[in-house]
Amino acid sequence: MRQPAMPIRSPFESSIAKPGQGNVVLSLLPPNNPTLTTLTYKYPLKLVPRAPGFVPTPDPATLSDKCPSRPVHLYLLTYGGGLLPGDHIEVSIKLDPRTRMVVTTPQGSTKIFKTDPSTESSFNVIKGHRKKMPANEHLSDMSQQSLDVKIGRQAALCYLPDPSVPYKNSRYAQVQTFTVDAAAKGDQRSSLCVLDWVTQGRTSRGENWNFRFWKGRNEVWATDEKTGKSRLLLRDSVILDDESEALDDSDEDMEEGVETGLNSHSGRAETPPPQAGLVPLNIIQERTRPHGVVGTLILSGPVFDSLGAYLMHQFTSQPRIGSRNWSSTSSSAPEPSLSTKGDVTWTAARVRAGFVLVKFGAKDFETAKDWLGGLLREEGSIVREFGEEALFCL
Amino acid sequence: MLDGQPQDLQLEISQLEARLHDLRSQLDGSNYPVKTQTQTQTQTQWTTDLYNDKFQSEEIRSSLHALLLLSDSALPLGSFAYSSGLESYLAHNKPQRTNPASSFHRFLKLSIASIASTSLPYVLAGYRHPETIETLDNDLDASTPCIVAQRASVAQGRALIGVWERAFRASFAAPTRNTDTGAQVAASSIDDFSDMLKSDLGDVDEYDMGPKGHFAPLWGVVCRAMGLDLQQTAYIFILNHAKAVLSAAVRASVMGPYQAQNILASQSLQDTIMARIKREWNTSVEEAGQVVPALDLWVGRHELLYSRIFNS
Repeated sequence: MRQPAMPIRSPFESSIAKPGQGNVVLSLLPPNNPTLTTLTYKYPLKLVPRAPGFVPTPDPATLSDKCPSRPVHLYLLTYGGGLLPGDHIEVSIKLDPRTRMVVTTPQGSTKIFKTDPSTESSFNVIKGHRKKMPANEHLSDMSQQSLDVKIGRQAALCYLPDPSVPYKNSRYAQVQTFTVDAAAKGDQRSSLCVLDWVTQGRTSRGENWNFRFWKGRNEVWATDEKTGKSRLLLRDSVILDDESEALDDSDEDMEEGVETGLNSHSGRAETPPPQAGLVPLNIIQERTRPHGVVGTLILSGPVFDSLGAYLMHQFTSQPRIGSRNWSSTSSSAPEPSLSTKGDVTWTAARVRAGFVLVKFGAKDFETAKDWLGGLLREEGSIVREFGEEALFCL
Repeated sequence: MLDGQPQDLQLEISQLEARLHDLRSQLDGSNYPVKTQTQTQTQTQWTTDLYNDKFQSEEIRSSLHALLLLSDSALPLGSFAYSSGLESYLAHNKPQRTNPASSFHRFLKLSIASIASTSLPYVLAGYRHPETIETLDNDLDASTPCIVAQRASVAQGRALIGVWERAFRASFAAPTRNTDTGAQVAASSIDDFSDMLKSDLGDVDEYDMGPKGHFAPLWGVVCRAMGLDLQQTAYIFILNHAKAVLSAAVRASVMGPYQAQNILASQSLQDTIMARIKREWNTSVEEAGQVVPALDLWVGRHELLYSRIFNS
């Protein structure tokens, strides 16, 4: 394994960064040598670069100066393999024109911990024990992560991380912003492939969407560096909130009334949903049912064009829901529900600005992983352009 | 009894207004005013002065009129063509059809929560800042995850502009009657936006999309131009959505029309709507997002249905 060429780092540089901050700049030095000109990070964040031996086979048709440069692999790590309440991770990455980067999370799923005084002993396993939280719980007990990637023209980012696994009672917010070059047209455009997925928690411990708050927002902006104008191209935002935090005291009664009220108004005897009895209704569970993992894949730019087209084709050629074989004699067997039969329920759409947006829900992590990994490997362009390592988490 | 009748009506009107006032103050999520004043008013007799104050005021009357116009199911927006994912939901959740009513209740609740978290912030922003309609339209377009939902939103948004231009503008944007500068700004914003829509030549290139005409922000702007207040605007937006879903349920044979009206009239639906509005009252458009991920999947997979009676 070869370390990419890197200038000597200033020992003072990291002292500027706040805890959890990281800064990466990937440049292309002549003739065609991808180099991390900046790499700083501060505890509890850790960024480990690696230049894979993999060199993409240049397509004879696109040889000359369009020849893709060697991808640089960046591992995104946190001490303890997850985020404690109050942790703020802030990673900023800049990809200069024609560079390529693969980002993965080699520690497995991003665990979102919840420190609870009564269960604190169970966190002995976490190395690098962090300081106690300040007293103001409401603000500080949320784990936060922000990722900001600027992708230059003809540069490409392949970011296929493990899912985020929020533990019981955890709170987490994540904002990922990707900025592409608005002035680049056609084949010059920046490319990105971003996966963002979240699971119901630790199924081995019986967790089933028992966290308190999880929010993931992904934005893609086009910025013209000459004029400084920015335009939002895509925003994908998922909010899973158990709504236990009432806006004020009077609100609590209201919410309860809402959750149980609608069922009692159909005017006929009905069995109430099982949750409506003694156990309080889990709103997040209700809103994700029947899935144990939900996620989004965002594709854009020339490098991922063929993958986008492939996924669109796969989606539109799924069997029609509710179609019947008219030629056969009457088969009275009820049709199995599609959401359970396939285990993965997904949709793909070619939204604006050439983006392909895939949304999926699956019964568990393994199912989703096998399904998505299978599709990406079958199509093959990610392995071809970035190497098998890009699919490390799948 | 004969001469008592107009007074009864007056009483009822005043009570309704008091209730409206009550609800409005309840709605103001940021700072809840103490309700003592309203209560003393309720206790005082319903004099003709109150009638004159409340009902003869031009503003109240015209805003009530506008409210009724915008809540009319005959408003030609084409809402009847969309089920907001209900049709696809039913196809994906067949085993529950043994008890279609409770399955529908679940959907209605999810659908209202989802429209409130994804679209209501844009309605509120359109009302509060009508001059930003172009940005709001772009951002909502960027946030719409599938073509099916995008088509439905744009079709209704453009229809709303059509209704405004052909029917409402003449009465509501007449320079003589309108003293509210906010409404004037809103009216001219719609006109400017409409001109942009008409002169748009389609997507110029990948990153320079023209205006689309999404429904939610336009609803906020049109309501502002017609003199509704913000609470009414939000309530009617969610209520119209519930009406459209219920109407789709009747046509999809989930329930009968009386049962649908029963749900529409129910206190629990009102409470749900109020709770959702309150929750999103201060949500900025940047913070808007999908709270029901499963709904995106159902709406997106509507295209895969073998037979369809709705467009979404």
